[in-house]
Amino acid sequence: MNRQISVYTDQLTRRFGKFVAVDGVSISVYRGEIFGFLGANGAGKTTLIRMLCGLLKPSGGEGSVAGFDIKEKSEQIKKRIGYMSQRFSLYADLTVTENIHFYGAIYGLAKEEIRQREEELVSQVGLDPYMNQMTKDLPLGIKQRLALGCAMLHNPPILFLDEPTSGVDPQARRGFWNLLYETVQTGKTIFVTTHYMDEAEYCHRVSIMDQGKIIEMGSPSQLKESHKKSTIQDVFIALVGGEKTDQKE
Amino acid sequence: MQQILAMIRKEFKQIFRDIPMMAIIFIVPIIQLFVLAFAITVDVKQIKLLISDFDDSRASREIIRAFGNTDRFKIVGYTHDLNCVRGNFQEWKAQMALIIPPDFSKKMARNLHPQVQISIDGVDGNTAGVALGYAQGILSQFGTEFLIQPQYRSRLKDVHLVTMVERMWYNPDLSSEQYMVPGIAVVLLTILPMMLSAMSLVREKEIGTLEQLMVTPLKKHQLLLGKLIPFLILSFIELALLIAIAMPVFNISMNGSFFLLAVLAFFYLFTTLGLGIFISTVTQTQQQAMFFAWFIMVFMILMSGFFIPIENMPQLLQKLTYLNPMRYFMYIMRDIFQKGSSIRFLYKDAVPMTIYGLLIFSFSVIKFQKRVG
Repeated sequence: MNRQISVYTDQLTRRFGKFVAVDGVSISVYRGEIFGFLGANGAGKTTLIRMLCGLLKPSGGEGSVAGFDIKEKSEQIKKRIGYMSQRFSLYADLTVTENIHFYGAIYGLAKEEIRQREEELVSQVGLDPYMNQMTKDLPLGIKQRLALGCAMLHNPPILFLDEPTSGVDPQARRGFWNLLYETVQTGKTIFVTTHYMDEAEYCHRVSIMDQGKIIEMGSPSQLKESHKKSTIQDVFIALVGGEKTDQKE
Repeated sequence: MQQILAMIRKEFKQIFRDIPMMAIIFIVPIIQLFVLAFAITVDVKQIKLLISDFDDSRASREIIRAFGNTDRFKIVGYTHDLNCVRGNFQEWKAQMALIIPPDFSKKMARNLHPQVQISIDGVDGNTAGVALGYAQGILSQFGTEFLIQPQYRSRLKDVHLVTMVERMWYNPDLSSEQYMVPGIAVVLLTILPMMLSAMSLVREKEIGTLEQLMVTPLKKHQLLLGKLIPFLILSFIELALLIAIAMPVFNISMNGSFFLLAVLAFFYLFTTLGLGIFISTVTQTQQQAMFFAWFIMVFMILMSGFFIPIENMPQLLQKLTYLNPMRYFMYIMRDIFQKGSSIRFLYKDAVPMTIYGLLIFSFSVIKFQKRVG
């Protein structure tokens, strides 16, 4: 395969005391891919993403993001990734515009650059009517779009989204995923965790994680075929066991 | 630079939009100033005095008049029943009783060691001691005046009276505000920067924005400078406001240099802002941070000599106060205000204070990680 690797890990492990949150995870994510990470709450998805973003030091194994080693070059990586955590993490007491300008400046963009990106995002993400509203007054779906917009301000080639749609209504989630599709068209890589099984169907490839280990990986159609199930949800239940899934719907 | 400015701008916007926070920052310290300056008074005035005059002579009435003429005593009643004294003490109606026995003036006329009895409520030992001193002063004054009356002049042949001429330096009116207000400013520069920086960092931790900032290329020093500079500025504004209000209202005199005060306050802020960062690194929620800050604060204030003079502490505690950075700034502030000391006299406090500040600050900055775990 002649494809560029965006995210690569080899036996990546993270322990908290005796508890092994991420246990020997090896993956390769290619450029232009939407790579989904499925798992129940506590399966280790967030820990894995935090290690890849340089927020946590790995206890063992190797990893690289955009070609930079995650242990040594985390500051280099930070310039090339966008990150959206599962908690909404923009400033609620700033307006939409103020949040955009703040994060633009933090990423070191020039004023004109910020203004230009702001305009692009506003039309792309659909924030037009909300620009001067306080962020805390926005509907959740719009907040998530704004968070995605802010994570993409500096045009990073790789996006890490940690349960970006949790708590958002199905319609808004659909819209959000359409946005992700448009984004990968431009050659970006998206690494997304979710516990909504319907969202897994939209990914190019998914891996299923349980108790820190990857137990299955492949495209949604491959997985369904090999496990002879009609939906990813059924595949997941067959692999992990129904009682562990955290279904919010 | 652009990043730091963006952080500062953001921080100010957030502070000014948070109305309850603004109230805490600007109104609470002023209320504190008035409450503390009026309440924590070391002046002993208007001591409630009960009179029991069994002599009822010219001399005894003169003594009573002498006690009545000063604002240090307030005569609350006259009685001939000594049990009444006990009752009044029990009910906090009197603090002191002056009992003049029936033969007082006779003994005085015959030069037979006339005596009066002073009974004091000793529950508040400090006040009792001071009150006793005042009473002694009045009585010896009375004795002196009695002796120099013309009819007793003859007896003075061999007596040479030493008179005391008092000069109270630095605080001639013995105003306790002159002593307390600089202390209140120190307390303010301790609580405000420590609380604000700790709470604001922990709040960002709680809502997740700190994590978001940590995945940006924003450097640690940019993040911390952007966070701390607004609080540094606010602290100086507060200090200026406090002094501007306190000087005319409490008639405080500032005998030293404002510039020196500002420079030393700047070094002291390293300590308190550093403690704020430190608290934010060891706590996860605002409640925890609040509790932790409160704990440090109580220790620092009690051991600073703000309420309790360090000289009055047991030896061991006195030595412990050297570990308290606030102690040094308390001395500096009071010295600058009252004695107008220059750095030549202050360096003994300024040097350790600055060293503490830099140590605490650098330790906290190192401890503050751009990671979550």
